[in-house]
Amino acid sequence: MAATTDTEHEDTAERERDAARGRGRRAGRIAARAVSVFGELLITAGLVLGLFVVYSLWWTNVVADRAADKQADRVRDDWAQDRVGPDGPGALDTRAGIGFLHVPAMGKGDILVEKGTSMKILNDGVAGYYTDPVKAALPTSGKEGNFSLAAHRDGHGAKFHKIDKIDEGDPIVFETKDTWYVYKTYAVLRETSKFNVDVLDAVPAESGKKKPGHYITLTTCTPVYTSKYRYVVWGELVRTEKVDGERTPPAELR
Amino acid sequence: MYGWIWRHLPGNAWVRAVLSLVLVVAVVYVLFQYVFPWAEPLLPFNDVTVDNQ
Repeated sequence: MAATTDTEHEDTAERERDAARGRGRRAGRIAARAVSVFGELLITAGLVLGLFVVYSLWWTNVVADRAADKQADRVRDDWAQDRVGPDGPGALDTRAGIGFLHVPAMGKGDILVEKGTSMKILNDGVAGYYTDPVKAALPTSGKEGNFSLAAHRDGHGAKFHKIDKIDEGDPIVFETKDTWYVYKTYAVLRETSKFNVDVLDAVPAESGKKKPGHYITLTTCTPVYTSKYRYVVWGELVRTEKVDGERTPPAELR
Repeated sequence: MYGWIWRHLPGNAWVRAVLSLVLVVAVVYVLFQYVFPWAEPLLPFNDVTVDNQ
């Protein structure tokens, strides 16, 4: 169909144009591949970050609650079978909890309390009492001092998630094998520096107390989902109640 | 990248789909089990204690 006279000239021109187009196409293809790989990397990064959120806010809770339930069961079992009291006979297993914290303002359920505030302890979905930088005074010792505790605000059980629901006057109850320690919240510090270790003092001056007494201090991070500041709640012991055979909770928890 | 993986998986489309799923699950497992627990303490989201450090 093509004309035979002018074809030679046209052919070379066309071939050159094709070659140029091919080169351009090849360069374009490489660029397109680079862009698509880059895009896929971005999508991957987005998915990984999304998964990290899922991990932080959901999966760590699943793992922590499982661990906490197991350890709580063990403590309750030990109590029921009279094996290890907080100060009782037998080997004192520091990994086992020393008791349970009940804070009706944060909802039903109890929070196992263990020794230490390292991530390893707290990540099991429990509250830990401070051993450092200021040693907590255990209520079971009967001595005056500050029973200072920390727990996670988000993830890892998020046991202190609703700490902002605790108002002055709200009860905080600590349950041991044979005693209910009933505290009453008297001061809340909604935001403080994470270096403010004075809040853990035996007589926490910032809460307005001057004299030694039986205090309890809850600390966690704030605002939610970050660790920029610390949130502190102080309570003072109101009374103690002996645990009866049925472990009837004190009036505050009913 | 994903296209490359897909092309290099053996079998027909179904087998590849199943293998892809296995790969995804494996990656998520490694992330949840090893990578995230390692990364978490390095990120400033979950420090709850007051201290002097």
